[in-house]
Amino acid sequence: MGMTKRIRKAAVLGSGVMGSGIACHLANIGVEVLLLDIMPNNLTEDDKKSVKARNKIVDQALLAAIKSKPASLYDSSFAKRIKTGNFEDDFSKIADCDWIIEVVVERLDIKKEIFAKVDAFRRAGSLITSNTSGIPIHLMSEGRSEDFKKHFCGTHFFNPPRYLRLLEVIPTTDTLPDVVDFFLHYGDHYLGKTTVLCKDTPAFIGNRIGVFAMAKVFQLTSKYNLRIEEVDALTGPVIGRPKTGTFRLGDLVGHDTSGNVIRGLKANCAHDEQVSSFEVPPYLDFLLENKFLGNKSGQGFYKKTSEKDEKGKPVILALNLNTLTYEPSIKPDIPSLKAAKQMDDLARRIRHFFDASDNGASLIKESLISLFSYASNRIPEIADSFFRIDDAIRAGFAWEMGPFEYWDIIGLEKGVKLIGEAGEKVPSWVSEMVSLGFTSFYTKKEGKRFYYDPVSKAYQPIPGQDSLIILDNFRSQAPVHKTSETILHDIGEGVLCLEFTSPHNSIGEGVLRGIQESIQLAEDGGWKGLVIGNQATNFSVGANLMMIGMLAYQQDFDQLNMAVDAFQQTTMRCRYSAIPVVAATQGYVFGGGCEILMHCDASVVSAESYIGLVEAGIGLLPGGGGTKEYALRASDLFFEGDVQIPTLIEKFKAIALASVATSAHEGFKYGSLIKGRDEVVLNKDRAIAYAQQKVLQLARNYTQPIKREDITVLGRTGLAPLYLAANELKLGHFASEHDIKIAKKIAYVLCGGDLSGTQQVSEQYLLDVEREAFLSLCGEQKTQERIQYMLQNNKPLRN
Amino acid sequence: MEAYIIKAYRSAVGKAKKGSFKNFRSDDIAVKVIQHLMAQVPELDPNTIDDVIVGCANPEGEQGFQIGRQISMRALGIPVPGVTVNRYCASGLESISMAVAKIRSGMGHLFIAGGAESMSQIPMTGYKLAPNYDVANSTPNYLTGMGITAEAVAKKYGISREEADTFSVNSHQKAAKAIQDGKFIDEIVPIEVTDISVHQNKRVEYTTLMKVDEGVRPDTTLASLAALKPVFDTKGIITAGNASQTSDGAAFVLVASEEMVKLFNWQPIARMVSCSVGGVDPLYMGMGPCAAIPKALKSAGLSLSDIDLVELNEAFAAQALAVIKEGCLNPETVNVNGGAVALGHPLGCTGAKLTTQLLNELGRQNKKYGMVTACVGGGQGIAGIYEKL
Repeated sequence: MGMTKRIRKAAVLGSGVMGSGIACHLANIGVEVLLLDIMPNNLTEDDKKSVKARNKIVDQALLAAIKSKPASLYDSSFAKRIKTGNFEDDFSKIADCDWIIEVVVERLDIKKEIFAKVDAFRRAGSLITSNTSGIPIHLMSEGRSEDFKKHFCGTHFFNPPRYLRLLEVIPTTDTLPDVVDFFLHYGDHYLGKTTVLCKDTPAFIGNRIGVFAMAKVFQLTSKYNLRIEEVDALTGPVIGRPKTGTFRLGDLVGHDTSGNVIRGLKANCAHDEQVSSFEVPPYLDFLLENKFLGNKSGQGFYKKTSEKDEKGKPVILALNLNTLTYEPSIKPDIPSLKAAKQMDDLARRIRHFFDASDNGASLIKESLISLFSYASNRIPEIADSFFRIDDAIRAGFAWEMGPFEYWDIIGLEKGVKLIGEAGEKVPSWVSEMVSLGFTSFYTKKEGKRFYYDPVSKAYQPIPGQDSLIILDNFRSQAPVHKTSETILHDIGEGVLCLEFTSPHNSIGEGVLRGIQESIQLAEDGGWKGLVIGNQATNFSVGANLMMIGMLAYQQDFDQLNMAVDAFQQTTMRCRYSAIPVVAATQGYVFGGGCEILMHCDASVVSAESYIGLVEAGIGLLPGGGGTKEYALRASDLFFEGDVQIPTLIEKFKAIALASVATSAHEGFKYGSLIKGRDEVVLNKDRAIAYAQQKVLQLARNYTQPIKREDITVLGRTGLAPLYLAANELKLGHFASEHDIKIAKKIAYVLCGGDLSGTQQVSEQYLLDVEREAFLSLCGEQKTQERIQYMLQNNKPLRN
Repeated sequence: MEAYIIKAYRSAVGKAKKGSFKNFRSDDIAVKVIQHLMAQVPELDPNTIDDVIVGCANPEGEQGFQIGRQISMRALGIPVPGVTVNRYCASGLESISMAVAKIRSGMGHLFIAGGAESMSQIPMTGYKLAPNYDVANSTPNYLTGMGITAEAVAKKYGISREEADTFSVNSHQKAAKAIQDGKFIDEIVPIEVTDISVHQNKRVEYTTLMKVDEGVRPDTTLASLAALKPVFDTKGIITAGNASQTSDGAAFVLVASEEMVKLFNWQPIARMVSCSVGGVDPLYMGMGPCAAIPKALKSAGLSLSDIDLVELNEAFAAQALAVIKEGCLNPETVNVNGGAVALGHPLGCTGAKLTTQLLNELGRQNKKYGMVTACVGGGQGIAGIYEKL
């Protein structure tokens, strides 16, 4: 079979939240999907003749998945790739499928029944997997044919399948090695997932370790008599975990699910040295008894009320774990937490908690020490190498670090000592590491990351990284160039990569200078080209608002003019240089970030890129060439005989409504991406490597584009309908007076100003118009209020 | 010399973009209606018609090439001229009044007048939205979209969502009953529509006889309308359910001079007593009838109480209600067979279509005076008063 096989068609059996979500994600990556579920059992005689009635369960489930927020599909039109059916009528269609995924209810008897049916209808050689999170994989293939067993394994997605990046692959002893290799490769390259090889042990890797960590925090909360709001603040972003913390995450997942997993682990892991941590605490029982299952039943640890506070936000109550009553939630006031929040660096914050001594710090410390012990004792039980545990936890639970990475921050030896002091067990392989003089689990050299291998008792390179470019691994090398906000890396094959290092990768003077100097350096130094990309959560949140806000507030228009001009000249430099410049993006690609992307020669955009010119939200318009670029792109879409106005209106709407594409695919719709020029990559970890390849491809025949002086703008002919559209938005209460003022400025730039009629202009002329409009908005008090509000509250003000 | 309406016919009204006429051009509909009309007066040589006056609100694209002329040659013959008239939603009535005025002033004896519109084929704002810059810049309300004007009227005259929805449910119920009672059968020209489309990748040709108005939904309820979201204003009341439907159709009348009536010994249906137009603030376009009605009444020497039946074009339920609420019309007389919310509003055709419906209802009820009135985009109103003979 080999690893290069492509899945053309897949069957998903079971259309619950996970089944429908998996079906949607397969549709996202271009697979034709057959989604099947049971037929409703109470059909009338008439219903029985109707395909619609027979498919009611699956159709409703799929519709719910398509409508869910955040969206399950990259683009709503991808739903056409999914066909639905029921187990009675359509099971034979699985014979056409290359991959059959079972996602039915978590009961072994039902799953076995389904698999017997699969065995009867499937084509020999097709792949069969189960998405079970708790049932041992080998039990499910008992009694099946040889061919079935050889092609069967577990593929465990996390909810929601589009967004959570972990895919666990769990072979049985019968699974062909080719099948395992195939899923490891396919999961990474095509499903875009961090794909982790697991053993057939209870809850595999992600949930075994992740749920242990959660259960331990539950215990320690009671021990240190902390409130849930405090624990959520302590176990959130401050220690590199999602902002839901622990209890709010429980509300999100649903306590019925959490309760089941904890109980399951307690039953199945009786020999775990810390099995006592798998206890359902009394307050969780309270929630379960009262069916307060979390967000899905409207209340759990937290309860949203219809009351509003003085700021107009809904009042949220929090469960008091001692009295089991809901009380108004408090703002945590823990000294160690407050101090940590002042620190930028995660490693520093973790060390700080280990040095502090209040109850909050103790909870973090003890939970991590228990986690170190628990996770290290699971090697080789659940994985041969510890780095797979870190991979799984980062991808499946969205932690910035896994247990062994936290441990490296504390120091191997210190961790061992603290485990001993806590009365927990240190596994022999870790003791051996210490005695052999190793000081960390991971190390980096020559742009590669290595892990300690207990078998060879030496560091080994982490497999699979040869085809990746991981910027973190270059940190030990001297950069090619550096500014206050960028680092320029040599990523090999004659290609440079400019990484932003400013907070949230916002674009300030240091970034602009970094881009200009890198391009110059690449041109002068005989480099093949430049990638602009980073591996942070977000490519860039946009221009440095603090700087613009300050200058606007001081009404320093000379400085502002210079700053905006520098921005424009920098994006233009990305386009007009002697070398190809390619952007690689993921996460937010907002405002200035989007402007840089649009001015590069090409881009490699992770599917999970959220792209948009969002400046209108803060009272501005795109001033780094973005509005000009939309005018240029509109012009490029005009053709002889075209009435042009609808194209202009589309471009106007994208900017005036600050539209954000919720996936790379939507970026093509909104016009920030162009088919044939920009490329989507499914696994964001590969974006920079693909961008490097793109640079090499473009470098072969690279010629600098000719400066544009032929941009058709419509002048008053275009302004009139756009002004009318703005007036309609105002009258229809879709926009405030200030929104209209901004919208009209955007229209003005898009039309090249109030020219008498259609004519051709240069890019520089449009940049000048754009800059002037930007500056005039900076002079508006309401714009200044918007900027200030955004800086203080991190969300837009509608004024 | 007095002018008389001799015959009046219309097509059934199709639902725009999904109905039977979605691929059937409005010039073709018009030719069929006029030929059917002429077949009812075999004594009349088509070549003697002085002019064909065609109302059309968006005379471009498929309705371009001066559609009036395109229709006149094909329906009647090369020697018969044709002209296109545009007063938006009043076009169909305007064309009749022009025919009447020409005869009264001695500028002809025989006219075919009415209107034709395909909203399936021509976008409501035309193909190129290119307003005057100075207007857009300084007085954009001169060019406000129709939905927004209806919201402005609703707000100013205190029309609630529930009132508008209730009015709309009634419109559907009255229209459904009128169709069920066969009231429109005689006035509708059945048209054979051959549609060639691709179904399951096969070229399929099928022919239907289009003879019933398609927009009516007898099952419309207050609850089903209440579920719809406002379209034009986030805080507004106008929904797809309480606005007129976009439609396709054509309607024409034969107008003849007294001399011709005598010559052919015709029994005229009615005469147009008066027809007036008036201007209002474009933002409150829906109130146009209130500017036109008093003028038409005055010119006819009549008062509102003399008018037995009214066809008020329901551009929007809210607008129709405001016109009634302002006392411009007597509610009992208005739209006894439903209106545009249910039956559709093929812009340039509407005035002639409502004339056809009104004259037939006057006949059925044996009433004397009737009125057709409509609001007009850009801030105008029209009112035409007929006397049944």
